[in-house]
Amino acid sequence: MKKIDHNPCRHNWPFKGILLSALIVIFSLSDVMAGVLVSPTVIFLSNRSRTGRMTVQNPTDTKQEVTVRFSFGLPESDSLGNIRVNLNDSISTDPNSALGWLKAFPRKMNVEPNATQIIRFVASPPKEIPDGEYWARVIVRARAAETEIPSATDENAITTRLNMVMQTAIMLKFRQGELVSQIEVTDLQATPTPENVEVMVDISSKGTASYIGMLHCRLLDANNNEISKTATQLAVYHDIRRRLNLPLKGNDFKKPFQIELYITNKGRNDIAAEDMISGNEVTLTQTVD
Amino acid sequence: MSKLSTPLMVVRFALVAVLVILVGSSGVLAQDVAVGSATATVQAVLAVTATAALAFGTVYQGIPKSIANNNASAGIYTIAGQGGAGVSVYMQLPDYLNTSTGDDRMVVSFSTSDASMDSTNNVDPASFGSGWQNTNPHTFPSAATVGTVGQNQSAIFLGGKVIPSVDQAAGAYTADIILTVAYNGS
Repeated sequence: MKKIDHNPCRHNWPFKGILLSALIVIFSLSDVMAGVLVSPTVIFLSNRSRTGRMTVQNPTDTKQEVTVRFSFGLPESDSLGNIRVNLNDSISTDPNSALGWLKAFPRKMNVEPNATQIIRFVASPPKEIPDGEYWARVIVRARAAETEIPSATDENAITTRLNMVMQTAIMLKFRQGELVSQIEVTDLQATPTPENVEVMVDISSKGTASYIGMLHCRLLDANNNEISKTATQLAVYHDIRRRLNLPLKGNDFKKPFQIELYITNKGRNDIAAEDMISGNEVTLTQTVD
Repeated sequence: MSKLSTPLMVVRFALVAVLVILVGSSGVLAQDVAVGSATATVQAVLAVTATAALAFGTVYQGIPKSIANNNASAGIYTIAGQGGAGVSVYMQLPDYLNTSTGDDRMVVSFSTSDASMDSTNNVDPASFGSGWQNTNPHTFPSAATVGTVGQNQSAIFLGGKVIPSVDQAAGAYTADIILTVAYNGS
């Protein structure tokens, strides 16, 4: 069997990624009229460090009015494996919701053109809170602070202005105690279609913290030749179903085909290593009927 | 912004810009150096921006006016960040535009094909690249991503229609369009 490269990101990705990301963001935002850039995209607090921060940058030439509030929303799947983050502004019934005991400073501000504002977060969890990971979404809303409505060309005319408002929903995690990140694949199905093999995988979190990682999948022929592969980011908070489509490329592959699934929390360059909770790895294969 | 006249100037500008980010934005990037090798952790960014508002221009009483999502007057949002990462995208669209005094309102509507989502770094609504064309702005595809791997930006082009009544009061009308974006993988 061929050696499996479980880490497609190892090829000097970090520095190339930095340069490419920076360049693309800089050039693409050069003529922006409204909006902000937020970083990081996940904020971690804990019982040892109950404060955190986020950077909000205004890359535009206009002053931005920025507000910060909290919401709740986890990546959830439907029966077809479609993933969405559904935001819920009211108090969540999820026992791991951190809504209600988080504060942000400042919550409303004007950010001058090309300026940066630090938002600080403080967690005040209830006493005797059980060990575990608690979640909320930080909603950063931005809009141009000053807008002008175009003037009508004659006095009987009507003019309009639609204000473009932007919101980013950033995950915030509060960690209490020593936590474990673990998942279990509860179901795996591979269904061939004329052009693809559709893979459905059901995953359950079995740890005390969310599982953040990568989901890799390869389609192999009877001689272990790779037909196609895909990889996607994975976040498992409770139960989730993911759908992957592996293209059937070429006709010279010998049946029966099989899929190879590999889940790991390595390869996430968007989250600092010290913030990752090392979890289990899962490797599964299944014949495509 | 002035145009850069030579490739060399572009490269210089790019390097300066990267340095500004690396040095000046400690909150954006963190770098760890180990013996014998260098590694860096990118604290990924998410930037949701608008480069153009949906502009109906001047309209007249009793005459509806539509802007297609591939028109130069279409609204343009961009989502920049980690290329290829899945995102949830929601758009809150108004039913009416209101006068500043609130004494009159005008119907605005968005059909189920009034948006396009282009994942090729293109920000020109007239030259759609690849992605979801003429899709529903009320329900964006669940497979939406921030561009593709190596191309870290998607754009949303939005059209719509205003329907002024025959006795619509002259004046200026406004409303908000709110785009919300969240990473699915974190």
